[in-house]
Amino acid sequence: MRRISAYFISILILLFSGSSVANGQTEPPDSVLIPLKIRIGAEVTGPVIYLTDRANLSTEGFISADLNEIFALFLGTGYSDYRYSQYNYEYLSKGFFLKAGVDFNILRPEKAMGKYWAGIGLRYGLSSFTCEIPSFEYENYWGTIVTSIPPSKYFGHYLEASPGFKAEIFRNFSMGWSVNIRKLVYTGAGKDLRPIYFPGYGKGGESMSFGISYYLVWNIPFKKIKVEVKKEEPEETQESEIL
Amino acid sequence: MRSFRTNFPVVIVIAALQLAVSCTPESCLEETVVEIKAPLYLNSTQEIQAPDSLTLYGLNSVSGKIYSSAKDVKKVLFPLDPSAESCGFVIRINGAFDTIMMNYDSYPHLISQECGYAYYHTIDSLTFTKNIIDTIIIKNRFVTTANEENFRIFY
Repeated sequence: MRRISAYFISILILLFSGSSVANGQTEPPDSVLIPLKIRIGAEVTGPVIYLTDRANLSTEGFISADLNEIFALFLGTGYSDYRYSQYNYEYLSKGFFLKAGVDFNILRPEKAMGKYWAGIGLRYGLSSFTCEIPSFEYENYWGTIVTSIPPSKYFGHYLEASPGFKAEIFRNFSMGWSVNIRKLVYTGAGKDLRPIYFPGYGKGGESMSFGISYYLVWNIPFKKIKVEVKKEEPEETQESEIL
Repeated sequence: MRSFRTNFPVVIVIAALQLAVSCTPESCLEETVVEIKAPLYLNSTQEIQAPDSLTLYGLNSVSGKIYSSAKDVKKVLFPLDPSAESCGFVIRINGAFDTIMMNYDSYPHLISQECGYAYYHTIDSLTFTKNIIDTIIIKNRFVTTANEENFRIFY
């Protein structure tokens, strides 16, 4: 229970701590040793949702590698099996997606210490999938037509910004979440039969999509680097100005 | 392992929230009816004017009349048969009959996830008798759900 409390409280402490070191009693160190890590993570909400909704499966995993205390390279992939039915049609979509980009850690090194990550990930996503309409019904004055549209292969492209937070809750094991804001840049389809759902992106009918991901991450430290701690300039008080 | 167990409820709560959002049914708010929109123009004035009486039905259709001695119809709506490449209509304006034949292509179009699919059409050609109709001008060959003028019928 202590760890989970620490996990959430640490978000607030880290984000609002500001100049706590500067205000503290002890002198901050000149430099800190930051472990660079390779991270292997899995998104867990997709499989959990699948337990309650067998129609839709979405899995996602990623690997990232720290370049330094701020930047990390990110590579993610996933699989999606999406089914949707309405009163007048059925829709099936299956496929993979690949995301590549960078993660920026905005926490100061002496706060992050390789254990905490708060920042934003910027990614380019490619979605490769097949979709089909096994049946759809159309009715007008001339009667009712029941027909189908055979499977077609599509490639969709999108951009993603993912601000979020991750914290190491015990040795080399982190948990975290991110809010995902995605912009569809290319549907790979004409305007008439554009896909309803893009693996990794979401609903194809909208040019922007939003989501929340929750990650379990295994960290593999591979190197330690020494990072200089930037000292904060002491703020001049009104009193000192008068003196 | 204890930490994982204590954190698991958090995962469940987030998943439940996502599920609630993703499973909220949305209504179909878009226009789904695909018809040719054809305003009726009085030839002598070149202005839109409803005839005293209008009747319209499809040739060889079992569905009955689209309009039956209707009054105040300024814009005629023609539904096309997506299972055929041509269809015809009998139109009676102020008691005089004419026949309109249309050739076209049909193709499915996704209106939205909520509304599903409809058939759009592209008009290839048009023929008509001239008992009361003087001219039909094709303004827009693409027949969609959009509220756009496709034909102008002068009578």
